[in-house]
Amino acid sequence: MVGPSGAGKSTLLALANGAVPPTAGSVQVLGADVAALRGRALRRLRARVGTVHQHLELVGQLRVVHNVNAGRLGSWPAGRAAWSLARPQGLPEVLAALARLDLADRVFERTDRLSGGQRQRVAVARLLVQRPELVLADEPASALDPALADRVLGLLAELATEPGGALVASLHDPALALRHCTRVVGLVAGRVALDAPTSALTVGDLATFYGAPR
Amino acid sequence: MTAVLESPPTVPSRLHRARARWAWGLGAVAVVLWSLAGAGLFSGNVVNPAGRAQFGRFAGTALSPALDAAFLQVLASSALITIAYAVLGAALAVLLGALGAVLVARTTWGRRRLGWTLARGALAVPRGLHEAVWGLLLVNVLGLDPWVGVLAIGLAYGAVTAKVFADLLDEVPRGSYDALLAAGSGRIAAALYGLLPPASGGLLSYAFYRLECAVRSAVVLGLIGAGGLGYQLALSFSSLRWEQVWSCVYALAALCLLADVGGRAVRRRLAAPRTPGDRLARDRVLTAAVLTTLALVAWSWWYLAISPATLFAERTREQLGYVLGAAWPPDTDGGLLRSIAVLAVDTVQMSVIAIALATVGTVALAGLAAQPAGPTGPGRRLTGTAVRMGLLLLRAVPPPVWALVVLFVLLPGVLPGAVALGLYTLGVLGRLAAEATEELDPRPRAALAALGAGPAAGWLYGVLPGATGPVLAYALYRWEVAIRDSVLVGLLGAGGLGALLASRVGAFDWAAVTTILIALVLLTLAVDLVSARARAALR
Repeated sequence: MVGPSGAGKSTLLALANGAVPPTAGSVQVLGADVAALRGRALRRLRARVGTVHQHLELVGQLRVVHNVNAGRLGSWPAGRAAWSLARPQGLPEVLAALARLDLADRVFERTDRLSGGQRQRVAVARLLVQRPELVLADEPASALDPALADRVLGLLAELATEPGGALVASLHDPALALRHCTRVVGLVAGRVALDAPTSALTVGDLATFYGAPR
Repeated sequence: MTAVLESPPTVPSRLHRARARWAWGLGAVAVVLWSLAGAGLFSGNVVNPAGRAQFGRFAGTALSPALDAAFLQVLASSALITIAYAVLGAALAVLLGALGAVLVARTTWGRRRLGWTLARGALAVPRGLHEAVWGLLLVNVLGLDPWVGVLAIGLAYGAVTAKVFADLLDEVPRGSYDALLAAGSGRIAAALYGLLPPASGGLLSYAFYRLECAVRSAVVLGLIGAGGLGYQLALSFSSLRWEQVWSCVYALAALCLLADVGGRAVRRRLAAPRTPGDRLARDRVLTAAVLTTLALVAWSWWYLAISPATLFAERTREQLGYVLGAAWPPDTDGGLLRSIAVLAVDTVQMSVIAIALATVGTVALAGLAAQPAGPTGPGRRLTGTAVRMGLLLLRAVPPPVWALVVLFVLLPGVLPGAVALGLYTLGVLGRLAAEATEELDPRPRAALAALGAGPAAGWLYGVLPGATGPVLAYALYRWEVAIRDSVLVGLLGAGGLGALLASRVGAFDWAAVTTILIALVLLTLAVDLVSARARAALR
């Protein structure tokens, strides 16, 4: 997804994970109407949808391991969630996920002591242990250097496509979109202004969407 | 999916617990157990089975308060007296605080650390004494005069206000102030332009907060004879007129609610005032609030028929001279010192049990008392309102009155005082914790909900980590307040240093009074120090 600030990219992603109810129409996610689901059924669906939020929404006071493990709260019973705060559960998987992001050495650090780029990677690690079928990513690479950004997007795409799901990402960098996505949707003022397979587009086509000629 | 997680895990670094925090935590548990043992919870009987019937009669009248016209009239005039004391006391406190702040601010002293330390130390004396203690001392100098209540609140609060005002001024970033000095402006002018404007919101906000607190203090002073709602409550209680007691309690709750809501509205507005950008105009609501308060001060002055002449009367000077003469040197008799030590331990135990009780209650209730961020069902809203009303009642009734109620069911000793203080503190702490929970960033919790976490897990991972720090810090801060309040509970008979103080004042044994006051100030200083250290370890 590409588009200028305020075009509705984040809102569209929030509609897909049920954080925002639609004012009209319905939203079909993984074969279910998100707005119609309640309680346990909604939780089960949400556990299958992973989101990397624009402002990351990590709990700063928790250690990294707990923020990553939070990805499993959709499947863990409350007792196990509570116990994990005292004795971190499933540590090997957390470490493996962090290692893929070069962050394994910070696993017991308090999350608010990390830099912006490191926190972004913690948010991605949370998804790696959640194992969602649909990945929604709102600017997942905004605070990363180009090499890391490439790697993170590759990971997210791999994560989503392996179980046959999809990655929906909003991106500010046209080059990243062209490299990692198969389809580009351009939004302007809440409307779809462009919908084309990547192969039919160039970096210049996308740059116009941000009003910055390249 | 496994492909993503296949790479071999690196050697995990060890999970280090923060040692300092664990030490503080274990220490706190030990102190609470020691206090409970000291209160006799593990040895012997603490319950008073005979009082249960009396308690039943008291509780039974909760829903049928006295509403006859004559009593309501008494209640209304009592409320006016309480308000007048609160307003005048708070006004005096703000005045003294503003003057005192200049004397103790770091900005005034600059690099002269010794002077600053001495000025701060001098503040510790009025700050360490509860306003009721001030009232008790002043009544012996001024006689039964409205000045007693006003000065008691004004002096005790003035010292706290001076410290907070000075801190607010010192916390303002120095850049603009230094720039003005560098440009050649005088220190006063530089402070007016570079320090006061950024601090003014905080200063005014704190002044209104003090006004809220002064209402509660005016009630407490009423208990020891200054008149008003507190006096009426004590009168009804001692004549066993339970319906009237409940009327007083509800009136107090209404007054507290008024002060809370009004104060909070003003403080919210101060945080985000509405002024047009294109012309010189003030925020109307804030202007109205300040003008109303000033008018209230004038009215209170008239209503209490206060005359400055009393302060300068011949009799006052004589009496003050006599008391000061008799009070020095302090009594250092071995027996007195020993009993002070024993009672100081009682006082500390009382405050520790009170805070432990209040903290446990707060953890249980804060989640319910906080206004939920999103839309909720009517059941949750109703519970929330009920819990908030309950907390309001708990903090509207002064701790000594709770002590009288608790004495129905518990035998006299440290425990009833502690339970009473704990109930009152729960009322205050519960509200603070609820506000802290409401002010947490809701986004992490929303993100957890979006990935399917249930309400319990969402609370554990999204709210608890963020709320624990502020709530514990508040609890420690309230401990500092509770040690002062436990003296008040003692003044009215629940034991500890307060009871000893009341008996020595009653016997006009001023030398012993001086010793007890010194012990009180040292005790509060010690508690402040421990609490400050613990809060630093929390950060």
